[in-house]
Formats: sequence, structure tokens, C-alpha cells
Amino acid sequence: MCLPGYYEYSCRVKIVAGHDALERIPDLLRRLGARRPLLVTDRGVAGAGLVGILREAMGERLEIGAVADDVPPDSDLEAVNRLAVLYRESGCDALIALGGGSVMDTAKGINILVSERGDDLLKFSGAGTLKRPLKPLIAVPTTAGTGSEVTLVAVIKDRQRRLKMAFVSYFLLPDAAILDSRMTLSLPAPITAATGMDALSHAVEAYYCLGKNPLSDVTALAAIRLIGGNLLNVVHNPSDREGRLAMANAAALAGMAFSNSMVGMVHALGHAVGSVCGLPHGVCMAILLPYGLEYNRHKREAVMGELLFPIGGPEIYGKTAPEDRTGRVIAYIRQLNEDLHAATGGRHARFFGEIRDREGNHAAPRRRLPEIARTALGDGAIFYNPEDLDYDDLLMVLEAAWEGMPLDSGRIRKG
Amino acid sequence: MESFREIPAGGKPVKRAYVALMLWFVGRAIQAAARVDEAVGEEFAALPEGFAFSLEVLPGGPAMIVGKDEDGRVRYRGWRPAGRRLDLRMKIKNLEGALLMFTFQESTATATARDRLIVDGEVPAARAVVRILDRVEVYLLPKIVAKLAVKRYPDWPWQEKIANRLRIYAGAILGFP
Ligand SMILES: [Fe+2]
Repeated sequence: MCLPGYYEYSCRVKIVAGHDALERIPDLLRRLGARRPLLVTDRGVAGAGLVGILREAMGERLEIGAVADDVPPDSDLEAVNRLAVLYRESGCDALIALGGGSVMDTAKGINILVSERGDDLLKFSGAGTLKRPLKPLIAVPTTAGTGSEVTLVAVIKDRQRRLKMAFVSYFLLPDAAILDSRMTLSLPAPITAATGMDALSHAVEAYYCLGKNPLSDVTALAAIRLIGGNLLNVVHNPSDREGRLAMANAAALAGMAFSNSMVGMVHALGHAVGSVCGLPHGVCMAILLPYGLEYNRHKREAVMGELLFPIGGPEIYGKTAPEDRTGRVIAYIRQLNEDLHAATGGRHARFFGEIRDREGNHAAPRRRLPEIARTALGDGAIFYNPEDLDYDDLLMVLEAAWEGMPLDSGRIRKG
Repeated sequence: MESFREIPAGGKPVKRAYVALMLWFVGRAIQAAARVDEAVGEEFAALPEGFAFSLEVLPGGPAMIVGKDEDGRVRYRGWRPAGRRLDLRMKIKNLEGALLMFTFQESTATATARDRLIVDGEVPAARAVVRILDRVEVYLLPKIVAKLAVKRYPDWPWQEKIANRLRIYAGAILGFP
């Protein structure tokens, strides 16, 4: 067990998990002193019938003040401002966020405006600007990946000023996260695969990066175990309720782990690929995760080897010599990507070079890798990465991830 | 597991004075390194015009400020952040944390990972400043100590490293602009 000389850990989100967790919402809100929530969601979620399921589960016991089902795929300021007006005009006193990361972030943004009675969100950006609790917020994730239901961050785009605002505060944490298997039963296979790999990357990076601590370790290991046992299964059998609930739990556990210990180069590179080429976050995570392990291996061999226990189970762990464990962990994650690729009829990507857009062009063209590397150089996640990375290192990893080749260990500079 | 080793420094005024001296020296060494070392020069060149940052110990200092002049020259600007326009403030939460960093028992990276630092400003700029600090530490410190301070000790040609080290030391001690 690695015990840092100093660390901080906090997770004060109430978790309600089960096949009938939605039914608890009216009671939870009443305890928080609220009776008329604004339901924030997006078209995809509404189209999948999830608003209907939620309404039915709550029945007559709770009146929804208004439903906002047009949150854009990337949470932006325009939506936050507009929905804050809707909140006030509908006489709401709480928020329910039903959706993925973008819906959660939008709801957090609305909550800042309606609680602080402000009209300019920019005034509250950064860390430590919020001074008091906000309105009650209940998060109902509809993907099993981002972990936003337990994180204290919101990222909102200001398209006019071409800014990406980050808000960091414990007051942004939802009061409760509802993990209900019904919310992910209809999630398409490729999204199930990619978001599941995002959760895995949160747990794995939390476990081997510099901010690891005993509490983030426990949540990370539990998440990895659940993902290892369930992800491929739910991609094959989408309607497996137990598997779906396991993945929802895994995503929340991984979210607790990484929001307290932070993540490293896999996310630094993934954020950069996302912002330069617009690829979905989970897709980048699935591709990049093995490279994070390979690149940092010489610094974290023993810690990484421990991951074979939750991934492979006690028998495989016991039979594998300590010096071979990290290699098996990396091989396992690569194989998981291969299996997900097969299970989704080739729609789950294993390397950047195989991702095509609608016109058949490379969605992340090779010539843009230098720009991606430069962007990643400025990402804060590199602070938490065990080994250092300069521009050349980032580019080397990107080139390998573009081709789908393992890293050449001779080219990793160990100093 | 690391244990907290109390460094033999007597009372707090001595610790504070030690950290203040280190900050002063590092500040002047950054000024020198910006001209001597190509990579540090390039890092500064890529930062916005007039960029200034501080490294401070809470509460109430000591601190150091480094900034770019109008002509792009990098200058150590003293130890008083009050009333200055700063693009980036990196604050070490307490004196004990600063001591761990400046006695090189804890690297900048570990200090960040342990939440000892508050970064006030843009993250890409903070990343650039930490890369600059890392390079300057490699110049200032003997390898055996610098290896603890930075994540990866670089394999620069030794003749160049020694020559630059001498010029940076001279610049920091004499305070060449
Ligand atoms: Fe992620």
C-alpha cells in the first residue's frame, strides 16, 4: 500500500443504486426541501424514452416544474443562460440532470446562475469562487463512463468569446447520484464500449498516477473489477440488467477515484485529440490507455502489476510472476479493445488511423498529430503523470496510437 | 514510504529566511537562464507579451516574481506580489510545504499531486513555468539532488551543461540583467 505523506479525499455525494433507484428521487428532493425540479436532459435521452421512465417511476409524488430536453452535445453558455431563465419562470427550486457529462455540466452551470442570482457565469469560473451551497441537484447518469455524477467540476463553452470555462467547487457536487439499470439498457453498443473504457481509464490512471492515495486506490480497484467482469458482457447482451447496474456502479467508483487523485497523460492526450479533431472522449480513452501504461511502466512497474488482481482474478494473479504482471495487464486491455471491436461489428476503434468520418476521411488525420501534441503539452493532467513528457514524447505516443503499434520501449527516455 | 524529517533549522524565522533566500536565488537564476539556455528562452518567448508570474508561500510570503519586459527580456522583479498585475500566481499553501520543496525532499510534481500548490491562472502557462523551473533546477543542483527534484533527469551534453551552469550561477549571484 502506497501512503502519501499528505493527501486530501472527499466524496460527499449520496449514492442510490439499484434496479429501482429512480423511485427514491421524490423523497430525496423532499428531504432537501425541494418540490419542483427542473429536469435537464438532451434529445437523445428523451428520444430513448428515458424521461418517460423517470416520470413513471416518480409517479404522482413529484411535480416536475419544466423539462428542458435540448441541451447541446457540448455544454455551452447559451444553453445555461436560456435554461436558467426557464428555471426561474417555471418556479423551480431544484434540478434533476438526466444524461451524460454534457447534461450534468449544463445543470451545474444553471445551478450556479439560479443559486447566486447572477447572469454572468464567467464571474464564477475558476476554483474557490463559490462560497455557499447551491440549489439541490440530483444526477441521473445515462451513460456508464464520465463519472460526472460524483465530480466537482463543470466545463462550459462560451462560443461567442471562444472560451472554455472550468468551474471547480465542492458546491457543484450533486446532492445525490441515482444509478439505475433502466437508464443504460438502451445505450448503443459502441457508446457502451467507449464510455466503459473511459471509466476504466479513470480507475487505471487514478491507481498509477502521482495523486494516488489509499481511498482512491480502493475505489479504483473496485471499479476495475466491475468493468473487467461486465463491460464486454453488456456490449454482447445490452439488456443484461445486472451487468448494466455493475457498469453504472463502476463508473461512479472510478469517478470518485479520479476526482480525488486526478488522471495523467492518457487524459492529457485524449483532451487534446478531442479539442483538435472533435473525437468523442471515450473513443480516445480506449485507444490511449495501453500507451499510458507502457510509457510509465519503468516508474510504476509494481503498482501497475497489482492491477492484474482485479482484472484477471486471484488465480491468474497468483500464477503470474511479479515481473510479468504489468505486461499481462497491458495485454489484457489491448485484448479488451479487440474484443469490443469484434462485438460492435468493428465500430469500436483500436487505433486512431482506423477512425473514418462520414465522408470516409480520417477523423484524426496523421498530419494533425503535431498540433495535438502541442495542445497536450499545456494540459494540467501531465502534472500527475509519473514520467515527464515533452513535445517529442507526446508525438511519439500519438504516432504509435495512430498506427496501433505498441510503444518501442527503447524510445522511452528514462533519464 | 517517506517520513517527515525535521530539518535542523531552529525556529520558524530561520526556515522562512531559508525559503526566502532560495526563492531570491531561483528568481535570479531564471532571469539568467532565459538568456543562457535556449529552451528556457523559447518557453518565455511562447508566453504572452508582458507575462509575469509569482511563486509565493502562504500566508504572507516569502515570494518571488519573474516577468517579461516590453522588449521581451526576462527579469526577476523582487519579492512583493502585492499590487502587481500577475498572469499566474503559484502559491505554496504553507511554509512546511515550501521547505519540503526547497530542501528537495519533494519534487514540484509530487507537491502538485499532494495539493500543496494552488495555481491561480491559466493551466498551459503553469505547465510552461514548471518546465522552466525544472530546467533551472537541473542547472543549479548537483545531479544527485536534482534527480529528486525533477521527474526525469535530462541527458544533456555535459560540456554544455557545465558551461551553462557556470553562466547561470554567475548571472544569479551578480544579478546581470
Ligand atoms: Fe475521462
